[in-house]
Amino acid sequence: MRVFTASLAEMWFSARRRSRLSPDEATAELMLARRRLGQHAPASQRTLELVLAAAAGPATGRELAGEAAAVTAFLAALPEPEPARRRGPRRIPVLAVAFMFVALVALCGTAEAGALPAPLQRLAHQAINAPAPPPAMRVPRPGADVTPGPGASGTHPAPAGSGPSQESRTGKPSTTPKPTHTSASQGDGNGNGQGQPSASASAKPSASTTDNGKGNGGTPGQGGGNGNGNGNGNG
Amino acid sequence: MLYGHFVLDGDFPDVLRLAACGDAAAFARLWRDTHPPLLRYLWVSVGDAAEDVAADVWLDVARRIGSFHGGEQEFRGWLFTMARRKMIDRHRYEARRPVSPTADGELFDRPAPDDTVAAALEYISTETALALIATLPRDQAEIVVLRVVVGLDANAVAQIVGKSPGAVRVAAHRGLRTLRERVADATVTSPGRGGVTL
Repeated sequence: MRVFTASLAEMWFSARRRSRLSPDEATAELMLARRRLGQHAPASQRTLELVLAAAAGPATGRELAGEAAAVTAFLAALPEPEPARRRGPRRIPVLAVAFMFVALVALCGTAEAGALPAPLQRLAHQAINAPAPPPAMRVPRPGADVTPGPGASGTHPAPAGSGPSQESRTGKPSTTPKPTHTSASQGDGNGNGQGQPSASASAKPSASTTDNGKGNGGTPGQGGGNGNGNGNGNG
Repeated sequence: MLYGHFVLDGDFPDVLRLAACGDAAAFARLWRDTHPPLLRYLWVSVGDAAEDVAADVWLDVARRIGSFHGGEQEFRGWLFTMARRKMIDRHRYEARRPVSPTADGELFDRPAPDDTVAAALEYISTETALALIATLPRDQAEIVVLRVVVGLDANAVAQIVGKSPGAVRVAAHRGLRTLRERVADATVTSPGRGGVTL
């Protein structure tokens, strides 16, 4: 209802305004709207119409002479096309380089702290002089035979039964264990290693002990064997 | 029947889109369609500086055409609003730094009204018609050109010049009345100069 009333009022004002235009004003509106007057228009109005038509006439050659320069200036003044498209390929390498840098710094920090896994830490030690990895510990598997036999390792205390290594603590075994059994099969073994004395009763040094053991041994049922073993133990 | 017209009309949306994408041919079409009325408007307002001001306007158009949305009438309104701002800047610049040795160089650049009218009646070219319009007070001349040469309606002109549509109509009617009186006087006072056959 309100819209209807408003449109009615608008129509009434529009009609009133049109009706209030003098003939001169109505003619002026026609000329301003670039409409031709009829042949019956007064001479002065027709002359004015000619003047206005000439002012709105077709473009002259002089006015259009600068087209080439205008197009050149237009192409030069165009804004850069699509900054997002240009940003895309650049952003990826920057991010990758930043990520690699952060990863490298973290790796170096970890290496300096000595917290890398042993192989990596060893590599870092050689490459950037990071601390060396701690000595490797070999823990005997439960149920494994600890008797020095073939390939006896120095990580173990001196071979069982190697009295000198317990008594003289010279680190050089003076006795050679003899195999009680001799069989056709023999084995040789050499081993060097550092070891900590275990809590076993067979070798229990009370102070720092360096044992070197060498011996041949055999276990019943295994035949005979030769073995060398070096062992360092701290206790 | 119209004696002025928009050249592009139905093609305008495509031409504008291509020009905004940097198409030189499309921009050239826009330029050919709009530059002559722009130059005429500026010539009436700033005289010989019209070419320089028009070049500045087109540079602005090139930079901002991608953000424009609208039809041909709106495009002209947008462009002539920029032109008017440039024109006002030019007036301020000239007021601060007058380069003419006389108080008003415009008087020397433009012919006297009587001579202009007589010349217009003998051979009405675009230049003489614009020279005749330029003899009007500046606000009236500006509005007459925007309506007749550029082809904008009263509402669009009102937005450009910052007046009400009613004030625009009044100024335009006064300008046309003054022009008609000068033309009538010229035909009466110079009958022997081979004036236009009425």
